[in-house]
Amino acid sequence: MKTYWRSIEELANPKELRRVEVREEAKQKSMLMRGDSDLNSASRRDFLKTFGFGIAAASIVASCKRPVNKAIPYLVKPDEITPGTADYYASSYFEGNEYGSIVVKVRDGRPIKIEGNTLSSVSQGGTSARIQASVLNLYDDARFKGPFKGGQEISWEKADEEIMARLADLQSQGGKVVLLSSTIISPSTRELIRKFADKQTNTEWIQYDPVSASGILQANLKSFGSAFIPDYRFNKAKVVVSFGADFLGSWLSSVEYTKGYSAARQLQNDRKEMLRHYQFESGMTLSGSNADVRFPIKPSEEGAIVLALYNAIAKIKGGQILAGVPSSVDVADLAKDLLENEKQSIIISGSNDVNIQLLVNGINQLLGNYGQTIGLENPLLVKQGIDQDTEQLLADLKAGTVKALLVWNANPVYDHPKGAEFAGAIKKAGLSVSFSERPDETTALCQYVLPETNFLESWNDLEPKAGIYSLSQPVIAPIFNSRQPQVTLLKWIGGDLNYRDYIKNHWKENQFQKQKDTADFRQFWNTSLQNGVFETVSESKSVYSPDGLSQAASQVKPAVGGLEVVIYESIAIGNGKYANNPWLQELPDPVAKISWDNFAAVPVAYAEENGLKNEDVIQVNGIELPVFVQPGQAKDTISVALGYGREIAGKVGDQTGTNLYPFVGIENGNRQFFVSSAKVEKVPGKTFELAISQTHHSMEGRPIVRETTLADYIKNPVSGNELKAEHESKSVTLYEAPVYNGHHWGMAVDLNSCTGCGNCAIACQAENNIQVIGKEQVRNRRIMHWIRIDRYYSENPENPKVSFQPVMCQHCGNAPCENVCPVAATPHSEEGLNQMAYNRCVGTKYCINNCPYRVRRFNWFQYVKNEKFDFASNSDLGRMVLNPDVTVRSRGVVEKCSMCVQRIQEKKQLAKLEGRAIADGEIKTACSQSCPGNAIVFGDLENPESRISKLFKDKRNYHLLEELHTLPSVGYLTKVRNTNV
Amino acid sequence: MRKVFLPGHFTKHLKTSIAFFILSLFIFSVIPIQTTAADDDPEEYLDNHSNEDIKRGERFFKGLLPKDRKFESCVSCHKLVTHSDTLDWNPSAMDIAVKFAGKDFSEFQSSVMQPNGKKMEASHKDFQIEEEDLKKVKLYLDGLASTGPPNPGPTVNQIMIFLLLGALMTLALIDLIFFHKIKYRLVTVLILVVALVLQIKMVADAAITLGRTPNYAPDQPIKFSHKVHVGDNKIDCKYCHHTAEFGKSAGIPAVELCMNCHVLVREGTNSGKFEISKVVDAFENNKPVEWTRIHNLPDHVFFSHAQHVGVGKLDCKQCHGAVEEMDVMRQHSDLSMGWCINCHRDTKVDFRDNAYYDNYKKLHDNLKSGKIDTIRAVDIGANDCMRCHY
Repeated sequence: MKTYWRSIEELANPKELRRVEVREEAKQKSMLMRGDSDLNSASRRDFLKTFGFGIAAASIVASCKRPVNKAIPYLVKPDEITPGTADYYASSYFEGNEYGSIVVKVRDGRPIKIEGNTLSSVSQGGTSARIQASVLNLYDDARFKGPFKGGQEISWEKADEEIMARLADLQSQGGKVVLLSSTIISPSTRELIRKFADKQTNTEWIQYDPVSASGILQANLKSFGSAFIPDYRFNKAKVVVSFGADFLGSWLSSVEYTKGYSAARQLQNDRKEMLRHYQFESGMTLSGSNADVRFPIKPSEEGAIVLALYNAIAKIKGGQILAGVPSSVDVADLAKDLLENEKQSIIISGSNDVNIQLLVNGINQLLGNYGQTIGLENPLLVKQGIDQDTEQLLADLKAGTVKALLVWNANPVYDHPKGAEFAGAIKKAGLSVSFSERPDETTALCQYVLPETNFLESWNDLEPKAGIYSLSQPVIAPIFNSRQPQVTLLKWIGGDLNYRDYIKNHWKENQFQKQKDTADFRQFWNTSLQNGVFETVSESKSVYSPDGLSQAASQVKPAVGGLEVVIYESIAIGNGKYANNPWLQELPDPVAKISWDNFAAVPVAYAEENGLKNEDVIQVNGIELPVFVQPGQAKDTISVALGYGREIAGKVGDQTGTNLYPFVGIENGNRQFFVSSAKVEKVPGKTFELAISQTHHSMEGRPIVRETTLADYIKNPVSGNELKAEHESKSVTLYEAPVYNGHHWGMAVDLNSCTGCGNCAIACQAENNIQVIGKEQVRNRRIMHWIRIDRYYSENPENPKVSFQPVMCQHCGNAPCENVCPVAATPHSEEGLNQMAYNRCVGTKYCINNCPYRVRRFNWFQYVKNEKFDFASNSDLGRMVLNPDVTVRSRGVVEKCSMCVQRIQEKKQLAKLEGRAIADGEIKTACSQSCPGNAIVFGDLENPESRISKLFKDKRNYHLLEELHTLPSVGYLTKVRNTNV
Repeated sequence: MRKVFLPGHFTKHLKTSIAFFILSLFIFSVIPIQTTAADDDPEEYLDNHSNEDIKRGERFFKGLLPKDRKFESCVSCHKLVTHSDTLDWNPSAMDIAVKFAGKDFSEFQSSVMQPNGKKMEASHKDFQIEEEDLKKVKLYLDGLASTGPPNPGPTVNQIMIFLLLGALMTLALIDLIFFHKIKYRLVTVLILVVALVLQIKMVADAAITLGRTPNYAPDQPIKFSHKVHVGDNKIDCKYCHHTAEFGKSAGIPAVELCMNCHVLVREGTNSGKFEISKVVDAFENNKPVEWTRIHNLPDHVFFSHAQHVGVGKLDCKQCHGAVEEMDVMRQHSDLSMGWCINCHRDTKVDFRDNAYYDNYKKLHDNLKSGKIDTIRAVDIGANDCMRCHY
């Protein structure tokens, strides 16, 4: 049997760790009484005072009348709205270079939840944690409440008038205007910007991406004659080789890639083949932790390895052998595997080095992947920024040749490596205008702030991939006095259209002409708006040419010695735009399981050699960072996440973590996300507390992850899951088996499809009003997430195998929690749910102690309307995101996964009203609805035809801790690794 | 004997604790009265009119002036303090005050002196009011609009009885320990015990009904009568509460829906034009009507009308009572959990005709084989916690 471990300490001495953990847990609990923390400084005397006051208050309350509630009906009720019933509107999300087609749930005028839109071929009904959390950004107090000039409020009319006068002056003098934006993929907006440039003739438009894809764009310009990102079709691939590209986590279109990747790896319905994934990388990324074969390398070694792989394949295919530096890794086996799967593989690299990308293109061409697994028809448009442009802008700003700077959704002062220089240079532009929705480092330096509306308040159209269009529609009227920049631009060019009509006109002239379904534009528009998407296949005339390949090979640099620092985008925070979102700040990193901070991930061996342990502080090139010992971190490398250390973001994001953007270098004009020959030294005696949760909720070393290899699985589908039969044969019980008359709700999690991305945790948080508790309380192991994703390591700590396992309430048929509750607050339902009645709960926590799965959460404090927990739920605005169908829990009660009972009830109701049976798949829990890996399936186990019933009969199906005979309603499917090369 | 029973130092402690007990009772009784006794200062609304003018207006309104009046006083119809147990169709003083607060005197005058509508014509007949007097009445009403209705003042309530019982117990205790005025100890003990039992019962009753409001019938901004609409005019409940069958909430109709009829019906038999004009006013001026909510379920209860009206086909009356007889809408049931649970235990489910229940194969088999004769709501989990609490 394999040993699974969750931290280096556990691997070294599991018993000792358990002792430490128990002591720690006991300490955290006793702290409440002892009063050695700020938050819980309650003494016995305080308790008596509170008790006395409580009695007095209660008697006064009892003698008073109930408050009078008002009920204010509509004056004129809109037809589509039924009070108390949610409406769903298709829309689109595009922020921080991430695209998702979404459906927004609107309850009584408030958008409260984002779901995936299954009609989109890009996101295919999936979302990411950031997309899920974006609804909270709408209700952020930090947003600008109206336009500002130099810190003073100003009216839109006045601001327009002043700026238009300045622009007219500049136009007559020929002064240069620069529009600095993030990548804009809206066809209408792009046309509008062109029109603006027609009027303001000396206008330059620069698209700027903090983490750019310049390397790929420029390499394809050389290879194919146009700068584009091809369409990677992971669902068609049999072998994927990734060089440092975290395509399941943060690289380009991760939701789409996860959908394809999981589809190519799933083994349901007796599928016997799956994609094999090789990953070369330095830090342990989400993709690397899912890889079948992982090579920990230094980032500077990457070029030589890619070159070696090219040569190995070229040798067999009879291509030209390119001269260059030798590789540190033997790639012969990999080349063999790739050649066996010609036209069915994908080679990608996350590098921004044009030379490496040219070689990657060369390999893909040799293997015949273009046109097969890598499409050229619908190239991805989400990253279009070319790094040199921003460098040029900085030079121009410094030289004073830029007379006016318009900043739209870009924050170079924070996220450009030369941010400080930008800060100084912006002041040299005579006119600076920011369209930012919220305060940020760049906006603070601009003269005018013309705040943009949130994407949920705006009209827009998007083109994430060429020929694939989608629409955004407002689902709430602007909360603040803000305005879309498109409307501003329309005004400045003297148009009198509103932006919606502008988009409509644009679609009438362009998209409408691309379809033949209808001749009526109104019908076309309404259908597109309802679906949210309109998709066409665009043609590609790109032809590969090996230009520059040998030159690229010769320019590949040899690996350098010394420590290298890798800088990456984290799963939750991304490039830092979302730093003020408390849901994302509290989402533990999928691999390190750390929230609320970035940290320096160091290799295990390095930590041992230098006497480093978790929470020590090291100095990396002059910046102090807390240490986390990361199994699988490549030798001589340190990984640190970007996106932290914001100065001006809001109450949550300010000063959280450290800003690593100044470390980003420029190589061949492109941004390079690693630093060579870093100087690292330990800061003696200094520690920094991190919210590490990797050892929390431990199930004490019992075999709860089951795995096998593909070869074994094909031979014997039960392989890896032999324990189940053994446990079932030994099962005896005193309890009666539960009887279900109508429904028995169940859930199956396919561990082969789960990539551990964390989308379900945030989806659940949004759906079920789960509160953010802050770093201190996460450290105290009180995180409230109803679904947690356990991460286990196995085998070699220098390069371990990783398993992810989402764990939520198992809704046991023989639930250990139920029979210990003294007040019957958690009984079993007729439909197999383990129910939790908050109002009955008195907080004995017996159930928590008796739950073997550690899925119950206790409200140690009042997290809503509490100054001490000043996150989303401490303001009226922040609380607007709460789901009115789910009780907001108060202090002193236990909560846990309810299997989204509100959704079950809603759909049951609908079926009853319509007098029909519930269809399989009709009810979707929040976690299963938007899972990008399609890993979670929910359904009725009483229905023998349902998907869940079939999955429960799958040979791979098992339950957690079957030996306890708890009869869970949640099943897991064994993880299968495709490692047998 | 008794001295031995109560040693001196113990008596001393007892005395202080009794004093403390009485003091705390006093505090308890004072606080709630204080909280309701806050008063607004009317002075700031006087502008350049003397207090005297307003007083005069008030006296006139209340019928104290002029002494030789031949017509009814204003207050006889337009009540200052309204009680909702019987419906007074006439607009209250407050209603009028609010309506004319921002308007000219001339408008007020023409409304009083040239009544329009049958009801008003009948009662405002023979009015002979000096313009000066009417101006002062308007002043008084303007003041009223800004200060709100006069306070009804504290009333004797349960707390008083509770305190009385407490005092009685205290006296009995004091007598039992110190004075022994009552000859038979049994009497004092009896007083103690009975008073204590009564107090406990009061506390228990109050605790059980805490937050429950059966027969709650608050004043509404518009004197809408369900009796007139449902009883007399036979309008179906679901005409106005049209989301009851498929929505969670039965819904309070939008003003637009009222206007379906009231676009034509502008004068009522009971209230004349005054109340209906409020609806028209709200519609025309985009001012939503702020009804006072009667049926308040706690936030942790999720109730669906669709389930009960749409699926269960319950009659509205079963929970809401004889609405067609209510001039003032009131809460019929106590909406307690026991009330819900009991109904779920008794209510039969239409098991055969709704295809949704086809899932329940075992129960269908049992029905066919005659093992059971009916399915009640409780049999299919209607009393599970998570049917209503989630």
